[in-house]
Order: sequence, then C-alpha cells, then structure tokens
Amino acid sequence: MKSRFVIISLAMLLLPSMAQSQPATEDLVSSCVLAAGDNTTYLKDFRVQLPAAAANAATPVYKANMYLMKNMKYRFSVCDAPDSKGELTVTIYDQGKQLISSFNKSSGKKYTSIDFICNKTGLYTLWYDFMNGEQGSGVGVVCMIK
Amino acid sequence: MTIFHTFVIKQERLMTGTISKLVTVILLMSFCACGDNSARQGGLSFPVADSVPAGEAVKLSDEAVADIVQNIASPVEISAILQSMKVPFSAEYLAPTQGADRLTTNFQKAVMLGIYGADLGYLNMYEKTGNSVDVLSTIKRLADGLRVGQFFDFETLKRLSVSKSNLDSLLFISVNSYNQIDEYLRDNERGSISALMITGVWIEGQYLASQVALGKHDEILRDRIGEQKIILGDLLMLLRPYRESSADYASLYAMMETIAATYRDVRITYRLGEPETVEQDGRLVMVQKEESIVEMSDEQLAQVAAISKDVRTKLIYGK
Repeated sequence: MKSRFVIISLAMLLLPSMAQSQPATEDLVSSCVLAAGDNTTYLKDFRVQLPAAAANAATPVYKANMYLMKNMKYRFSVCDAPDSKGELTVTIYDQGKQLISSFNKSSGKKYTSIDFICNKTGLYTLWYDFMNGEQGSGVGVVCMIK
Repeated sequence: MTIFHTFVIKQERLMTGTISKLVTVILLMSFCACGDNSARQGGLSFPVADSVPAGEAVKLSDEAVADIVQNIASPVEISAILQSMKVPFSAEYLAPTQGADRLTTNFQKAVMLGIYGADLGYLNMYEKTGNSVDVLSTIKRLADGLRVGQFFDFETLKRLSVSKSNLDSLLFISVNSYNQIDEYLRDNERGSISALMITGVWIEGQYLASQVALGKHDEILRDRIGEQKIILGDLLMLLRPYRESSADYASLYAMMETIAATYRDVRITYRLGEPETVEQDGRLVMVQKEESIVEMSDEQLAQVAAISKDVRTKLIYGK
C-alpha cells in the first residue's frame, strides 16, 4: 500500500512538468504572433528544433513549402525558445533562388521579422536554421499584413 | 483517471517489489520525456525536424511537395481581399449547418470540416462572431467525430465569439486549431483525412471568391481565382494517392478534375524583375518585382464559378 502511494505520488509530481511541454510551445507561438504586430493576421507557424551542425558538415535546416499570393503582404517572424542556444533565422527561396533572409551574412545583422510584398503567386520555400549552426529551438510565424 | 494513471496502476499490479515499481515508473517517465529532448531542457515540444543540408538544392519531387505544402487554401486571405473590395458580408454564402448531424462517414465529416473552417474564417474576418457560434458547434462535433476535437478549444472560441472582445485572438486560435489538426492528421498517417479537409477549405474559398467575382469586377479577386490553376494542380496531387481507395474519393477526384479542366485555357505568365529590399523601422522589407499575370476571360470566370458551385453543392448536399 505504501509503495503504491509512493508510485502515484511520484507520478503526480512528474506529470505536470511533462504535460506543460505542449502548452509551453503554444505560449511561444502566441507570444511570437503578438510580437508580429497589431496590423497582422496569423496564418501559419513552424516549430523548429535542430541539432548543432556536426564538424565539417552542413548546417541543419528545417524547410517548408508555402504558397504565397500576389498582392498580399506577409510578415515572417522568428522567436527563439528560452533555452535555445542558437538564434533562429528564416530565408525565403523562390525556385531555388534566395529572395530574402532575416540574417544578413555580410553585415552580420539579424532581424526578428522580415516583410515580403508578394507580386507572384507561387510555391515558395522557407528555410529555418540557427545562426552559426548552433543547436536550437524556436518558432517561425507567418502573418498576413492587413 | 488519465491513460497514464491507468497504465501506472496496471504496471503496479504486475510487479511485486517496491524498488522494481519505482524503477518502472521512472523508466516510464523517462520514456515519455525522451521522445522530445526539448521537453526536458526547456519545457517545449517540437516535432521532429525535416533536416537537410543547407547547401542542397531546393528541388522536390511532386510527391514530396504534396506532403509538405503548407497554406494550400487560406480562407482568411480570400476574406481579406473581399474586405479590401468593400464587399459586404453575406450569410447566403455560408454552408448550412442543419444537416451536419446526419453526416456518418469520415469522408463527409472531413470535407465538411474544411468547408465550415472556411466559413468560420469568413465570419471572423468580417467580425460576424455572433453568427459563428452555430458554425463553431458544428465544427466541434465534426472534429470530435474525426477524433481531432482535442485541438479545438471550443469553449475559448465560443467565449471570444460571444464577447467579440478579441478578434485577433479568435482568428489566431481558430486558424491555429485547423493547422494543428492538419499537422496531427499528417503525422499520424491520416493524410487522406487531411487532404479532404484541405479540399473542403479550398472549395468553399473558391465558391466564395468566384460568386463575389461574378457580381463585382475586381482585378485582384479575378487574379486570385485564376491563380487557383496553380494550386489546384497541387490539390489534385494531394488527392491522387487516395482516388482508388473508395468510390467517394474517386468521385471527389473526378469532380476536382472537372474544375481543373475549366482552367485549361486560363493563362498565367511571368514578368521578370529584380526585387527591392529596404529597411523600414528596423525591419527588412522586400518588394518583389517579378510578377505573375493571369489572363482569364469573363466566360472562363463564369465557367469556373459554375463548376465550383456545382462541386460544392454535390459535396454539401450529396447531389
């Protein structure tokens, strides 16, 4: 009887911390949507978790294809998880050609969001990675600018 | 009592020693937590990343595109165009909710979940949130029927709808719920249901846009309808693997092909241009100069609208 009490107590102690994992991600998405600004409407989020780049290996990337529409303005925001070592960046590609990135490699400047005024409807590819190939987790949010 | 509690107690009955019980619980905890490393590190949960080397060319097979295309149909974007055109809200465009209780198959439920999702986006964008409670209730019943109701925070959505207090939150939660349902279905090898839901969202958005376009000339809206030629190709690709799985899927696929056929002579061309990038208020802004140009005649628009309406009617009323 005593052992059952210990087991159940232990489970009750540990369960809440496990159960919080999903809401914590949702909270990060929500705060990232809020940070995108008042004049935006949420469309999509991407939850990104990547390992550190191995020595002499390419940087791990999370990619997603997304239709972007002509005459629409989009905002791509990135937010890092509190424990993330790396800083998340987003780069938009159109048929393999890089259009815009939230990290300017030449100047070293990083933006938390980028705006894209779309004039060509089509399938674009979003690449999410962490600066310098560090391990990290975070979310990318895509909003429509009103 | 949760599944986890039940599982722990069953395990306890099977074992005898206190130490072994404790070890079992700890192992169970570890097993549950180690599926997601981040859960232990920072209390966050992320799906397994689709990792590829950064240097790899962005080339995807058709099948891969079908797997990962996001945002194939966004009712929020269609509604935003209608609002910018100052098109008044019309409840006549909404699908009826009366027959939803009689839907019996997962096929019907999934398609209608998509159709009502598009209607919900339309209602919310126009701030007709009072009207949306009925649609919300129907969506909740359908989502429960498809065992994805856990992603739909009905009470919060209902509260936000009734109070009209926070439209941004309402839009976020409702769109996010659909995104989560879609992701869950794909991750759990229920892609066929996801494809139906996406098709439902698309057909309702297409119906709404084309019906408005028939009565009000607007180049942006016409372009949006014409551009669906591109998206429809991917939608067919998404449905193709399931078309022989049942008569319902075969019929849906055939209907979508009839819509695609009406687009055959709609021309989409591209004008090249170099993008311009500026920094505004600490944010990088890119204006794309490359342009897609749609050529669609009034007759073609009328045909697309008629066929889209016909397909929607068959999906909703079954005839």
